[in-house]
Amino acid sequence: MRPETREYQFDWMLWSCFSAASKLNAGTPKEYRRMLEYIPSFRGVVETVLDAGEPGQRFIEICATYLDNVINAKSRGQKTAITTFCFSPAIFYAMDIMPICLEVISVMMTFTYKRGTTEFLDYCNEAGYTETSCSSQRGSIGAYLAGLGAEIDMIVTDTPGVCDTNANAFAFAAAYLDKPFFQLDMPPDLTGERSNEYHRADYTALISFLEQHSGKRLDLERLREKLIEVQKQDEMIAELEELARMVPNPLPVVYNFMVYASRFLFAGMPECTRTLESLLALARQNAAEGKSGISGGAERLRSYFCYIDHYVQNLKLWQMLDANGICYQGNILSRSWASNAPHVREFGTQEAAYTLDTANLDGLIDTMAMLNSRMPMIKSIRGPYDAPNMWLQDTLSLATMYNVDFIVYNGTPGCRNTWGMVKLLARDTEKAGFPTFIMYADAFDERVQSWETTRDRFMEFLNVRRLL
Amino acid sequence: MKEFMEAATVLNNRRVGEWKAQGGRVVGYTCSYVPDELFHAAGILPYRIRGIGASETTIGDTYFGPFICSLPKCMLQLAGEGKFDFLDGAIITPGCDSMRRLDECWRKAGDDNPGVLPKFFFHFGVPHKYSDYTIAWFTVEIQRLKAAVEGHFGVVITDEKLAASIRLFNRGRDLLEAFDAFRTAEDPPIGGADALAVIMAGTTMPRERYTELLEGLVGGLGRSASRITGKARLMLVGSANDDVELVCAIEGASAIVVADNLCFGSRFHADRVSEDGDPIEALARRYLAKNECPRVYGEYKARLATLRHKAEQARVDGVVLQNIRFCDLHGSENGLFERDLEAAGIPCIRLEREYGPLVETGRMKMRIDAFIERIRQRRKTA
Repeated sequence: MRPETREYQFDWMLWSCFSAASKLNAGTPKEYRRMLEYIPSFRGVVETVLDAGEPGQRFIEICATYLDNVINAKSRGQKTAITTFCFSPAIFYAMDIMPICLEVISVMMTFTYKRGTTEFLDYCNEAGYTETSCSSQRGSIGAYLAGLGAEIDMIVTDTPGVCDTNANAFAFAAAYLDKPFFQLDMPPDLTGERSNEYHRADYTALISFLEQHSGKRLDLERLREKLIEVQKQDEMIAELEELARMVPNPLPVVYNFMVYASRFLFAGMPECTRTLESLLALARQNAAEGKSGISGGAERLRSYFCYIDHYVQNLKLWQMLDANGICYQGNILSRSWASNAPHVREFGTQEAAYTLDTANLDGLIDTMAMLNSRMPMIKSIRGPYDAPNMWLQDTLSLATMYNVDFIVYNGTPGCRNTWGMVKLLARDTEKAGFPTFIMYADAFDERVQSWETTRDRFMEFLNVRRLL
Repeated sequence: MKEFMEAATVLNNRRVGEWKAQGGRVVGYTCSYVPDELFHAAGILPYRIRGIGASETTIGDTYFGPFICSLPKCMLQLAGEGKFDFLDGAIITPGCDSMRRLDECWRKAGDDNPGVLPKFFFHFGVPHKYSDYTIAWFTVEIQRLKAAVEGHFGVVITDEKLAASIRLFNRGRDLLEAFDAFRTAEDPPIGGADALAVIMAGTTMPRERYTELLEGLVGGLGRSASRITGKARLMLVGSANDDVELVCAIEGASAIVVADNLCFGSRFHADRVSEDGDPIEALARRYLAKNECPRVYGEYKARLATLRHKAEQARVDGVVLQNIRFCDLHGSENGLFERDLEAAGIPCIRLEREYGPLVETGRMKMRIDAFIERIRQRRKTA
């Protein structure tokens, strides 16, 4: 790691960028344009997000707020927990623990810095962690292993049974940093009383762990409050998902990204609600006017990303989609599996969804356990990809419902789970009539495949399949 | 030794052939979390599926993606080539993500090439931690497996049969523990490659015959005057290794592997199944608790303690921490082991390798030679 990288805490640096970005709109248009010249490596993000209007402004603000909370948690008397994107943060907020979500922070660094997370990725290897591990955790965990981030009190993950490389990152960090560790384990079956009981017992053990290491008892009223907020947020996401079915889709391409990032950072918190309200207001307006969310106004193609996105610097993926009139119909991350989600109702998969019950303690625990076990990735890739309610069924349902023209897989080479079956999935989706593109890029590490190559291969696919 | 070695190096070995010729059934499994006793009690030969002998992975690469461990790819390759046609069933476990995806890849290969997939094919869910509710889950999972085996093969697995099988396998574990004492002794009478063959043979041959052979071997080693002396004493740790040749390559002319912590090695016979109480629950407790694999997250300190204990008992000069490429579980834990064992004064070397034909033998031998050189210099300056 370069000596200068060690000069400042990485999370403070990141907060500094987002905090400054959140104030850009406060100036005059001229000041704004002039400022962009000074941030060539970040301007693509700023323009892509802030051009989305008020929702973009709110989104940048919540990123800054989140990072502010991360760097100041300890001084505010909070405990901190390193956790993962597919872990609903509501329980942490309910217990006054600051959740530090590794993958979201990796994404922030990847699209903000010219160098991305490379130094921290490599530092992990110096610390003994394998280079073949997933770059989504590795990108930010390296900073914590190097002692360059906020002080950590505990490490919590929910990916055992779903993603080895994710769970292993957290276990490695816990052993390396000698911190308390808890894992929520996922059985292969999503539904059924046996799985439900297992989730319930596991979640109860989690609450004991959090109480032990935070020194605070779970406040039921506070948890209920957070879950009622989650319910409200899910209803808004359900409406956004419903609006996305329209032709043209009134949602700008960057909306999905803002939806899932907001949920990962602030589910159950008013910050997320405000961003969703703002997204929804603009989407409703576009829908009422019959406007496409594509900035050029013309929707040419509809795409569904069956896994994750590509977070290369300056959000170039979203820019490429928008520039080519390709509508973004979401990915595995932006899905809510609440029982009121349109795809759940439409395909009769209520059994695989979660329902919020805030009546009593058992209901709350059950709700959290069910919600958590249906977070993105946790739900869809825990069992065989072609089992009921798993990846193939989810992908085909959503691709059909949104009437997409093609499906894209992108992940990281560290993803043993999806690379173990993605060829089979693609074969099945192709058979079902959806041209399917497997990207070989790394969503978090451009050194694996440059953006230019990634873009060219993407466009080659569209051309060869005569989609454009 | 010849029979052990044959059972360890030939997929469809003589004993399996004899078993099949007598109308016996064979069920394969991919991971050490599957209780052999259950199959033994059903009169079925449990067989740990291997990847040895695969000379290419064209079939494996057809179904798996590129960033996947080569062990399940080799297993699928062999299945696709018909090398596992003697299996009447197969059990897939979530030992790791690469291995659990063998489930889908093998099934799809079976769809494309009828006959490739055994008629009995079972996904066996194994939790990733040890607690009262995970044991309860795993107990039900074993009951589910038992019911499926009984239903498919038309057999009845009684508690009495299961208890007898547990006793037999515990007897084997006792013998292997006695064998380990010879293996780790000062100037041992048996080398590491032979030792691995002895242990692995237990996963591919009828248990009664194996126990008989072990009794003979252990007795013979006690009387043997032959000793291996003057070699650097190594312990082999990390990813699954079912290839005796890998140990031969590591030992070369100047080292001996006197201990291991491999799932095909001494971890296979660690601890006993309780012979009291409900046999299914006893199996669940032993198999979930005592296989010290990094797939059980958050237990690093316990595994480090095991390693240190083994290293001390076997008086090893150094530890070889190997992992198959893309095996992040062992690869990362090896990084922690290296840090902590070196700090405790135990020299370590980390080796990343591909599974399969040892195309990297030269590179590996060169690194091992350098490691042994380091150990010798350390001895001189001690």
